[in-house]
Amino acid sequence: MKQSPEYDHIQQQMQPGVITLPGFLGHDKRNLIDILIEDEGTVLRADTSHQKIAERMQYFRDAGVDGLGEFITLDDTFDVRVDSVRGKLPSPFGGPGMFDKVNTTVVNKKLDKEITFTDLHIHFVRDHGFYEGKGSPFRLEPLDLIHILQVETA
Amino acid sequence: MLASLLLSVGIITLISVVLSLMMVVADATIGNYGIVNVTVNKETQFEVEGGQSLLKTLMSEGIFIPSACGGRGSCGLCKVTVLEGAGAYLPTELPWIDKEEQKQNIRLSCQVKVKNDIEIEIPEELFLVKEFSTTVESIKDLTYDIKEVRLKLHDPPEIEMKAGQFVQFEVPEYELTDEPVYRAYSMASVPSDTQHVELMIRLVPNGICTTYVHEHLKEGEQVTINGPYGDFFLRDTDRPIICIAGGSGMAPIKSILLDMAEKGSKRKARYFFGARTRKDLFYVEEMGALEERLHDYKFIPALSEPQEEDNWEGEVGLITDVVHRLTEDASGSEAYLCGSPGMIDACIAVLKDLGMPEEHIYFDKFS
Repeated sequence: MKQSPEYDHIQQQMQPGVITLPGFLGHDKRNLIDILIEDEGTVLRADTSHQKIAERMQYFRDAGVDGLGEFITLDDTFDVRVDSVRGKLPSPFGGPGMFDKVNTTVVNKKLDKEITFTDLHIHFVRDHGFYEGKGSPFRLEPLDLIHILQVETA
Repeated sequence: MLASLLLSVGIITLISVVLSLMMVVADATIGNYGIVNVTVNKETQFEVEGGQSLLKTLMSEGIFIPSACGGRGSCGLCKVTVLEGAGAYLPTELPWIDKEEQKQNIRLSCQVKVKNDIEIEIPEELFLVKEFSTTVESIKDLTYDIKEVRLKLHDPPEIEMKAGQFVQFEVPEYELTDEPVYRAYSMASVPSDTQHVELMIRLVPNGICTTYVHEHLKEGEQVTINGPYGDFFLRDTDRPIICIAGGSGMAPIKSILLDMAEKGSKRKARYFFGARTRKDLFYVEEMGALEERLHDYKFIPALSEPQEEDNWEGEVGLITDVVHRLTEDASGSEAYLCGSPGMIDACIAVLKDLGMPEEHIYFDKFS
């Protein structure tokens, strides 16, 4: 699918070495718009929305801060750790400001599965429905997020 | 109608391609800046081939500016004063440089390109920073996700550091990076052991450096580091000290306390170390044993969620709660904190509540 010059520019910002060393697209050679459309389809078929996923991510992120960098138990089912590494990153979509490199790790003890996401990911999902390209080291599979975080579905 | 639309799109695409090609050609030709002069602190002057970032230019001349992101403009650490020759501020610098710093001509050296003669000022102590070739002497699991890496220095064979400072660790090319990258880690070793550097590195999922250390680095391998850097070190006062850390934040505090013990310090010291369960604790015996060597010292490990099998009889609760519970008055003390920003912010609030002036709180924040 053709995409706008704005998306071309954003996709350029996502290339390796521009903002981060590995970039945000992995080995995914598709247009950004196609990546977004496919992931949106996955989310809609799961009877939920980017907004609900982002809200759930934010919930764990906010609650996990109380652990002061260590894991804490949350809602009996989850272990959550919010930790940071040095540095800040801008969004390749432009605005809003810089994001601290804050990692939230959520372990779903019932499923015995875990997932790690950053503050930048929450912005990606909430504001752009972006989960990174296939093969990106920080790609989040929407279905993994939905299952592990137990995101509300219709 | 459709034909004219397609023609318009075609023309715009063609113009974009031509402009892109012109930029590539321009960068390869006009971008040849030739030999330029770099003057440092009015005294040191050298000639370099222009075109590199100021950070890399200085590094190639053996002057190391602290940087935790390897020059990608994402850590904001590599600030230097540029008196002349840097041009206008770039948008990539401005998130890190406030108005006051702009008045002082402070620039982000990884973003400033050396295109012409340039004059800079850097703190004198940065001339003490060196690059060291080392060998990994040992790698030890401290917890399930924190490793201790002990490096033997070869060239130069000794490091002069203050307890609490950090070094930059060079990650070579491997599957997650096709160019060397640098990451900053506090030294856990004692300054008197000038031939070794110890680091504590916690695994960050998919982190370039931590993945390399945890999954690829082997004993006997060569590693390049540079340092020392940082102003997180014990201040020369008589005030009692309160140290608070969690996880790999143990590193600089361990260095500070061991250094105090070796120097026969008489200062009162309390070390609060927070973990979730017993499996997250490490160096408990070693840190506790310092009670024999330091004049008035107590090590207080605390677990926030001890498990039944831990048989834990020590302090329980978040480390901030434990500090609050066991400290009556902190107004005459000073504090040294190392950990995540959330942990540091929570500790600062508690210490201020206990009467400690904010200017007596020193911290190494992982941000």
